[in-house]
Amino acid sequence: MSNIDFVELTRYAKSFTGLTPDKEALLQQLGPAVVPGLSEVTDKFYATLQQIPKAAVFLEGRVEHLKRTHAKWLESLFTGPYDDQYAQKMYEVGNVHVKVNLPVEFMSGGMTLIQSELLPVLAGACDNDAGRLAAAASAVTSIVGFSLLVMQESYQTGKLAEELEKFLAISGMSRTLFNNLAAAYGK
Amino acid sequence: MRADMLTSILSELNGTSADIEASAIISTDGLMMAALLPAGMDEDRVGAMSAAMLSLGDRTSNELARGSLEQVLIKGDKGYVLMTGAGGDAVLTVLAKPNAKLGLIFLDVKRAAEAVTKLV
Repeated sequence: MSNIDFVELTRYAKSFTGLTPDKEALLQQLGPAVVPGLSEVTDKFYATLQQIPKAAVFLEGRVEHLKRTHAKWLESLFTGPYDDQYAQKMYEVGNVHVKVNLPVEFMSGGMTLIQSELLPVLAGACDNDAGRLAAAASAVTSIVGFSLLVMQESYQTGKLAEELEKFLAISGMSRTLFNNLAAAYGK
Repeated sequence: MRADMLTSILSELNGTSADIEASAIISTDGLMMAALLPAGMDEDRVGAMSAAMLSLGDRTSNELARGSLEQVLIKGDKGYVLMTGAGGDAVLTVLAKPNAKLGLIFLDVKRAAEAVTKLV
């Protein structure tokens, strides 16, 4: 992971998800009004996951611990900063998901659930101001998308590394030989 | 010095049969140690590919209960590629013509591989 340029990854992810300084400021402005409602979002999120048999398997005996981590992350969406250190944390989260063999669709599925559960909280925080709610929803879409993009980046890298390890173990090739082979064809 | 001696072994090997078109000695990590290859043939690719094939061959031989690997032979419509382990650390690769008499080449390659083993 040391060769990942998190500053560049942050820039790339922000450009892809439209996470502008204005949106970042809005998320932080919303923080005080939104944060009190986030524990409910976390509860509903895990309640929904437990209803999905394929997902429930990964939660057995870990829900309370996962909820605490999730609540902390959810709060960070409305406190910031949304910088390279945040990207690095999300990257590590992606790595953890790879290590527990979480299917890749769980990340996008989970983010969709979270976004959906956040809407009523945002509506409450925006005092039924439709314009502000639209802006808030757009900002949340951007930060959730940003987080997802970074996690998928690490997921992809982690999966490739995992597949390569399998290949090396099966073929009996050393990593040095594989690197030399790749270098010979990378010219 | 060692490279010269390895090249000398290859030169002698190539001279034993007109069917041998090229030969090379490669570390098991895929790095070229000595080579007498036709112009235009990429040494790095020959090296890495030979070591990779030998590694796969070794694995296959073990997995399919054929014992320790001796050789990997590949036949294409333009000729043969023969890879032979030389000690634990090197591979001797020979490129031969399509109508080559393999029995004789096997013998010469075996001798050459033994000579390489003493040097690496």
